[in-house]
Amino acid sequence: MSSSTSTAPPRASFLNDAGVRAFVYQAAVFLAVTGLFYYLISNTITNMSQRNMSAGFDFLDVSAGFNIAFTLIPYREGDSYLRVFQVGIANTLLVAVIGIVFATIIGLIVGLARLSTNWLIATLARWYIEVLRNTPLLLQIIAWYFGVFNLLPRPRESIDWGGLFFLNNRGFYMPGPVPQEGFGWTLAALLVAILGAVLIVTWSNRRRRATGRIFPGGTVATALIILLPLAVFYGSGAPLTWDWPTLRGFNFVGGISVPPAFCALVVALSIYTSCFIAEIVRAGIQSVAHGQTEAARALGVKPSRTMRFIILPQAMRVIIPPLISQYLNLTKNSSLAIAIGFPDLVSVWMNTSLNQSGRAIPIVAMTMAFYCVVSLAVSGLLNLYNRRMQLTER
Amino acid sequence: MAPDHTPTPPLVFTPRPSAPPPPSTVGVMGWLRANLFSSVPNTILTFLGAYILYVFLEAIISWALINAVWEAPNRRACLDAVGRSGACWPGVIAWLPNLIYGLYPKDQVWRIDLGALILVLWALPLFLPRVKSKIAIGLTAVLVYPFLVSYLFLGGEKGWIWMVLVAGSLATFFWVWLTAISEMRTGLPFLALLVRTLAGPDPIPERARLVRQLAWAALFVTALVIVSRWQLVEVPTRLWGGLFLTMVISGIGITFSLPAGVMLALGRRSSMPLIRGFCVAFIELFRSVPLITILFMFNTMLPLFLPVGVEVDRLLRAIVAVCLFAAAYMAEIVRGGLQAIPKGQYEAAAAMGLGYWQSTTLIILPQALKIMIPAIVGNFIGLFKDTTLVSIIGLFDMLSMARAVGEDTRWLGLFIEPFFFITMIYFVFCFAMSQYSMNLERRLGGGQRR
Repeated sequence: MSSSTSTAPPRASFLNDAGVRAFVYQAAVFLAVTGLFYYLISNTITNMSQRNMSAGFDFLDVSAGFNIAFTLIPYREGDSYLRVFQVGIANTLLVAVIGIVFATIIGLIVGLARLSTNWLIATLARWYIEVLRNTPLLLQIIAWYFGVFNLLPRPRESIDWGGLFFLNNRGFYMPGPVPQEGFGWTLAALLVAILGAVLIVTWSNRRRRATGRIFPGGTVATALIILLPLAVFYGSGAPLTWDWPTLRGFNFVGGISVPPAFCALVVALSIYTSCFIAEIVRAGIQSVAHGQTEAARALGVKPSRTMRFIILPQAMRVIIPPLISQYLNLTKNSSLAIAIGFPDLVSVWMNTSLNQSGRAIPIVAMTMAFYCVVSLAVSGLLNLYNRRMQLTER
Repeated sequence: MAPDHTPTPPLVFTPRPSAPPPPSTVGVMGWLRANLFSSVPNTILTFLGAYILYVFLEAIISWALINAVWEAPNRRACLDAVGRSGACWPGVIAWLPNLIYGLYPKDQVWRIDLGALILVLWALPLFLPRVKSKIAIGLTAVLVYPFLVSYLFLGGEKGWIWMVLVAGSLATFFWVWLTAISEMRTGLPFLALLVRTLAGPDPIPERARLVRQLAWAALFVTALVIVSRWQLVEVPTRLWGGLFLTMVISGIGITFSLPAGVMLALGRRSSMPLIRGFCVAFIELFRSVPLITILFMFNTMLPLFLPVGVEVDRLLRAIVAVCLFAAAYMAEIVRGGLQAIPKGQYEAAAAMGLGYWQSTTLIILPQALKIMIPAIVGNFIGLFKDTTLVSIIGLFDMLSMARAVGEDTRWLGLFIEPFFFITMIYFVFCFAMSQYSMNLERRLGGGQRR
């Protein structure tokens, strides 16, 4: 005690040492979590042995033995559980992709309408957003299903768009393309065209940045993507026929058809998500200071180029991250399909398969793993984008 | 010419009154011209918008009001009267008690009403102007009220633990109103006023504390006497339903998610790798899967997780799932708020000698939560809407009840009307919440605005 002089700081108590405390806290948390898991797992093992349940993945090869109303990839009643899992994933992704496309289009239009100088249009857009985003999505899905798509006329009195598209209470029907021999060349041409388009756009952007000269890269690329496959298609003798939906007996046969549950799900998901996208678009455009537009005009930049090269790139930086997370939300929300009986992943896998096979643990784990993989992959890409787009601050 | 001796008046500039603005830019006409008919495309858009509005409103009004049937014994009678062109409200009216209270026994419904009334009374002092202890009252409303009301709703045999919790909760309710009244009349909190009257204006601390403790004891004993006198019939949770159940689930979820979210967010920003790792894993796992999978998981797995023979109530499974899900989302919102606090605030707090918990609770969190109010309320709205998902795992929330209307033999096929009705209920609640948050943001943001 007496040896401690004013130069040496008084020794802090052992208990107040930050490192020691951190260690103690973490050890405590670790023990608590491990203990909790041990407790849960031991309980689970006891419970499962009592109920003769098994946690293995060996059931994946077993034939599932139930039918699925709508499948994107081929599936027969005798196929294995693994196939059911794949069918579920394919259906979920199909709904998600179509929903994302429609939600983006509607959201963009409503977002721009919300910014309109026309008071009536802006107000209408505002109330569209307020009403739809303040009511539960599940309610909307069920309302679309029971209130709209189930009340459509029977196949004989289908709603008919030019004899090509039919809508009735059995679903939506449209002509399906049937590729003939030689159609592969068109697909190859499309691939080449896309590759070429990417190259042209990259090159023209790089040249613009280096020299300031503008090359209409976008127009040329679009023309390439449309014209090259078209030329090859007709050059190879138009090897594609169409399978038309036709009324036979009580229902339509042929073509591509989707059940009413699918229509209700896609419509509800796209409309619900479009509200959030509209607000994101509005916020993004409003985030670009008006001075930017004025500065561009002062420099003599044409209005169309102001939008393309000055406003949009800055707005996009604000729009893209929340937009992607809305896409992810839509994908997750597609799991509500179970309420109207559309066979998505949760419905066929976590519900039907789980009830049939009784393998709760592997099935829950696989379902969660799928959603985790999708969202971690998307958020990884988003982080990459954010790092590239981040403003370099002084 | 003789000089004019009358002095020339000094040249004074008297402005003429400015001309009125052109009539085309003021008044109703000016507004119309600027906002609806400024150009040809704008005019076309206006007419298009007006047409859409007309078609939509006309359809809704004629269906819901003009052509609607208000009295009928069953759906057949409605269809015979107006077909599908008008709404059949008698079905909704007949089912109204179920839509709101679920299958709760009719003679016990007053308990739900009483619970709602107590909540209103508990929260009322928050809106009274001269009440100062708003934070304390608000906290008790969130943390203490649930005990009182959960017994009120559940009923049944009271063990002594229940008895103490409920009595303590009731005592707190008395304290809330005594404080509110004494603050409105004298400006002093109730207990401080009591100390002053009983122990003089400048009492020794021990005596003041004694007075406070005695006051609490008196409140508690009063409450205990009241509580021990009632015994309520047990209402099992499988009978809970309708708007009531929706409120219970979202209320518990909201109450739980805020503190849990704050803890998770602090853990995620902690410098201790193990704690950070656990928090990140929990948050990312629960945020990346849909709520319905979590509900399913808890529904099927919770009975497996617990010791043999322990029965878990279905409602409890759903509530656990909703709480954990909401906490993970709340954690990310709070983290956003924490990140927005400038580093200088942390450093200043450390320089003042505040420890981790002091600087967090006194400096950082109040600021962070204030910034995050819109997002937090947005999360609450989301949670409120998401409670509809419990209908999928077989609980009778408002949505299930609305679906049940159309399966009732008297009202077979009556789907649109109940959906329309509960849509309006959901909309009113969510819209009110979002408007309130905007209002709160405006009031609290006063210090931020330049």
